[in-house]
Amino acid sequence: MSEILETPYGTRDFLPREAAAKRAIENRLAKLFSEFGYEEVVTPTMEFLETLTNSGAEIESNLFKMFDQNNRTLALHHEMTTPIARLAVSRLKDAPLPLKLSYNTSVFRFRKNQPERQCEFYQAGVELLGVSNAFADAEIIALAAQGLKVSGLKDFTICLGQVEFANGLMEENNLPPNVQTEIKNAIEHHNIVGLKKIVDALNLDKNSADSLKKIPTLHGGIEILETARALAKNQKSIAAINNLQEIYKLAEIYGVADKIIFDLGIIRDFEYYTGMVFEAYAPNVGYSLAGGGRYDHMLKDFGLACPATGFALGIERILTACERQGISNDVQNKNIYISYDENNFGAAIKKASELRAEGKVVEISLTPQTEDDAKKSQVEKNYTELIYLK
Amino acid sequence: MSTELFKKVGWTAEGLHEKSRKLFITNDAEKLKFIITKTADVPTYVENGAADIGIIGKDVILESGKDVYELLDLGFGKCHLMMAVPKDKKRPRLEDYAHTRVATKFPHIAQKFFVERGMQMEYIKLNGSIELGPIVGLSESIVDIVETGTTLRENNLEEIVHIMDATARLIANRVSYRLKFDRINNLVNELEKFL
Repeated sequence: MSEILETPYGTRDFLPREAAAKRAIENRLAKLFSEFGYEEVVTPTMEFLETLTNSGAEIESNLFKMFDQNNRTLALHHEMTTPIARLAVSRLKDAPLPLKLSYNTSVFRFRKNQPERQCEFYQAGVELLGVSNAFADAEIIALAAQGLKVSGLKDFTICLGQVEFANGLMEENNLPPNVQTEIKNAIEHHNIVGLKKIVDALNLDKNSADSLKKIPTLHGGIEILETARALAKNQKSIAAINNLQEIYKLAEIYGVADKIIFDLGIIRDFEYYTGMVFEAYAPNVGYSLAGGGRYDHMLKDFGLACPATGFALGIERILTACERQGISNDVQNKNIYISYDENNFGAAIKKASELRAEGKVVEISLTPQTEDDAKKSQVEKNYTELIYLK
Repeated sequence: MSTELFKKVGWTAEGLHEKSRKLFITNDAEKLKFIITKTADVPTYVENGAADIGIIGKDVILESGKDVYELLDLGFGKCHLMMAVPKDKKRPRLEDYAHTRVATKFPHIAQKFFVERGMQMEYIKLNGSIELGPIVGLSESIVDIVETGTTLRENNLEEIVHIMDATARLIANRVSYRLKFDRINNLVNELEKFL
């Protein structure tokens, strides 16, 4: 019997207070995204498996899958970048560029054993398609920072990296693809011990080996970019550093530069990033609140070459961070409780309609009450004011 | 070893000792808090950010499957993970043990090892005295940590496969590493001088 009251592993209910806090943040984000000219889209919760794995098959084991009536495999969307890429290449292929789209939805990934990683979780984010310059990247970063601000967070940091920096260093040393993948894995998981072992086994000259080993510790303010530049002897890495400096200049104008820390060890889990990448963190929360970056090849995988950049914010994680920073997202707007004796139900309905028209939150007792009972109900239900009609 | 090493770089607190009965020791002047916990729990504290950094064996990190940053090989606590069987029941090849029972404290690492060799095994998770498994007929083999090999010999077991080497590692939470980068990175640099 007890099973019928359980929810599946990795899923949760939002009770009224939690749902209200979630809705409040989502509304503020939706407003912000539209102020920046992003238009909301909604895509199906499920897609064909081939669509979701088009840009990397590794994700497949983490997808929730099922079959349709023709036995084709379907999967619940695990993020929104891929469905939006599909949309852009198919139904929006004739729309004028740049295409600025936003979303707010739950996504699904099977995973276990990790903190604050539900199997169903909520994301709000944007994708900017059709522009490859630093101006677009800076807009994305500024918007992510604004998003965290309007969510109520004051204390947070955006760590900004550029995957082409590490790629350039690896190509400079003519490393074969499988070694590059090993190195990227070690950098992404900051397995510095493992990275040392891999690099030492390559028999590179000392300078090149040291440069590769240093990637995960290239972390700091704008000055760290010059340290990084000195390690690179190739155009790709240097272009990556120039790109970050350009983004930073624009971020200064946006007024979000104080939130940015550079970290060239950020590569992110997904294979598809091709330029700047970032993650946002808050103190006392052991995981990132938001992440994003540039992914110029994904749309080509769907058949239309088009540069793209974007980010997603984790709604539950932001809620947790707010709670830990003592920031209340309580939307306490229960204004008036109306109750009445046997003869006044009609007056109660009219009064409630008037007050609701003024924008007040009004609940009417569904049965006549004594004045004492009405007072009790008002307190129990958390209404600020009682109107009793007798 | 961990507390001694930390002491060398000035990271210590009054009464700090691995056998300490106090589980939470603070050094207010240096803004340090030490948590003494069971080894298997260290990656959990760090992954959740309840601790910024931790010291723990590579074997425990791998078994936990936790997402933590591995910053430094501290070199001590050297041991290796291996598979052993009773001397008198040794089979010619590793593959001959497929579909048998293996007693271990490290079912995840063991499973990964056998799966890579196309072998299905029955894993029996024990929390200690793994050597007992084959003696009492609970399993055909064991996968366990070995430092000197004395326990194996005393129980008539023989190592047949070396699975991995392990030493103590300095690990960090991914967010702490970024938000407290200077302090953590300095610690790594200081510790490196003593290795």
